[in-house]
Amino acid sequence: MREVFFMIFSVFTVLAALGVVVSRHAIFSAFSLVLSFFGLAVLYLLWGSSFVAMLQILIYTGAIVVLFVFVVMLLDLKKEETLDSAKTGPLVLAGVSVWLFSLLVLRALNRATFFKSTNIEAASDMKSISTLLFSKYLWGFEILSVFLLALIVSACVLARAEHMERKADQ
Amino acid sequence: MIPASVQILHWSHYVAACLFALGLFGFLIRKNAIVVLMCIELMLNAVNLILVEVSMRSGHPEGLIFVIFIITVAAAEAAVGLGIILNLYRAKGTVNIDAFRELQG
Amino acid sequence: MDLTELSIVSIKTLLIYVAFIHVVPVMIWVERKGAALIQDRPGPNRVGPFGLFQPIADAVKFLFKEDPVPKEVNRLLYNLGPFLILLPSSLIIAAIPVGDRVEIFGRDVLLQVADIDVALLFFLSISSLGVYGILFGGWASNNKYSLLGAMRSSSQVISYEIPIALAAANAVMFYGTFSLRQMVLQQEGVILGFLPNWGIWFQPIGFLVLFVALFAETNRLPFDLPESEAELVGGYHTEYGSMKFATFFMAEYINLATASALLVTLFFGGWHVPWLSDSWLLLKLGSQNLVALVQVSMFVAKVSVLLCIFVWVRWTVPRFRFDQLMHLAWGNLIPLGLANIIITAILLYFFEGR
Repeated sequence: MREVFFMIFSVFTVLAALGVVVSRHAIFSAFSLVLSFFGLAVLYLLWGSSFVAMLQILIYTGAIVVLFVFVVMLLDLKKEETLDSAKTGPLVLAGVSVWLFSLLVLRALNRATFFKSTNIEAASDMKSISTLLFSKYLWGFEILSVFLLALIVSACVLARAEHMERKADQ
Repeated sequence: MIPASVQILHWSHYVAACLFALGLFGFLIRKNAIVVLMCIELMLNAVNLILVEVSMRSGHPEGLIFVIFIITVAAAEAAVGLGIILNLYRAKGTVNIDAFRELQG
Repeated sequence: MDLTELSIVSIKTLLIYVAFIHVVPVMIWVERKGAALIQDRPGPNRVGPFGLFQPIADAVKFLFKEDPVPKEVNRLLYNLGPFLILLPSSLIIAAIPVGDRVEIFGRDVLLQVADIDVALLFFLSISSLGVYGILFGGWASNNKYSLLGAMRSSSQVISYEIPIALAAANAVMFYGTFSLRQMVLQQEGVILGFLPNWGIWFQPIGFLVLFVALFAETNRLPFDLPESEAELVGGYHTEYGSMKFATFFMAEYINLATASALLVTLFFGGWHVPWLSDSWLLLKLGSQNLVALVQVSMFVAKVSVLLCIFVWVRWTVPRFRFDQLMHLAWGNLIPLGLANIIITAILLYFFEGR
């Protein structure tokens, strides 16, 4: 059962990711991105970490991609460049370099030692995650909150740039 | 929990590699700045998948914590990136990244 | 999983889904009659006794109407829109516990489609997907009013997800679990000798925040900005007709039902009969299945009361302006939710026994 689900959803995820790259219109890229993130959430579920799967759906598909779709709809993107408008030279170069890079990464991953042990129960426990988050990684957590505050301010400033300019003119 | 016999899940870093490769490829090839940002999200997600696999296989919840951190940073990155894209569109009326080459000199 | 178990699970799932889908025709009638009651007019009274068959007439009308597709729309996304909005709202049903358990052929069967360990997060995340139906449907309609409705809706839904998540975080802190079933199990019995042991007595602010935010999340008046017919013709579903239009309405009513069910589960003791404990019921009735019957009826009764409140509010409160709506979320509900989290954390620290 798990094997079948894994195969279906890994193929689904990769195909959806392909859709992001090759779609003609940015809105279809966003739609494929939703599908791809959804497939990834299923993969997390299959690994037994339902918490991360739900976070994936809640934050990625529920908030981040909505932002993308929002911006695509706000901007009037009539003329769309597509993949075939790219020149063959850069296309081949990019393809080859990406291929080599992923080979490198896979080789490094397969040699890594952290794949050896199989103590799965400990990792998926929500209590152990939150204990670690609020003890060992507390500083990271706090820095992240300050970072988010800075993000909110900067996003507001960016979005209201026009407004600011008008004020400066007066 | 996952029985040790299910080895097929151990292929998920190959899925992650595919996602990362596709994201990187799109990042290098696409001209639409919004799609470029989407490709960055794809790469971040590939890393997340590897982290989940590592964490579940090694039994340390650290990987999941880094997934949470990455998701937060990705949300931040998307929000600021899209704000910048909106301003670029206001400046030039397009989001094609080839239109923005003033810094080239 | 053998064949008996598989069939039991499938029948259970089917029954729960069918029950939730049947909220739609009932709610159509209740809404029309409620509007008529409040506006002092008879309401539907031609089709059947008290107009009870009005929903059937409506459905037949929708089925036989022409299904127009506007020119130069994006066909794929236009057709996908209604389904993208119906799918998440019906997926949520899976997380809701409608009763404790029944015994069939000597097996314990939970009266819940799936006892998910992160059920509350599941509810939040899947309900956040509903915005795609509105966004894609509104954008693909190629109509400025639809697009405006979709824009308003997405910003509204995203903004109100935050108070909902804050209220949910409160509930999680208070009950110490993400599982809705465990939350209901903790709300059994009586406190202080006379109050039913409901979450609302411990989380009044959380209830207030969640209640208001759910109105916005389900796009109901007073927060129906996405479809405000006086300003936007019909909002995101202006260009839809026939069954596609009906699908939007079905999704809205199923959303209402799941929202009420969530409120009942978190704050009103779920399936528990007020003041009575399950073991006492089992002692009096003698059979677990009878107890389950009582529990499910209790759950349905509580959800119905909340649904009536939804209808009542819709026909009494006028619509908000968009800036007022945003101010309510960011200026009132979110600070209230954050303060509630701090208060809950402090209280939990001092009364850790709970």
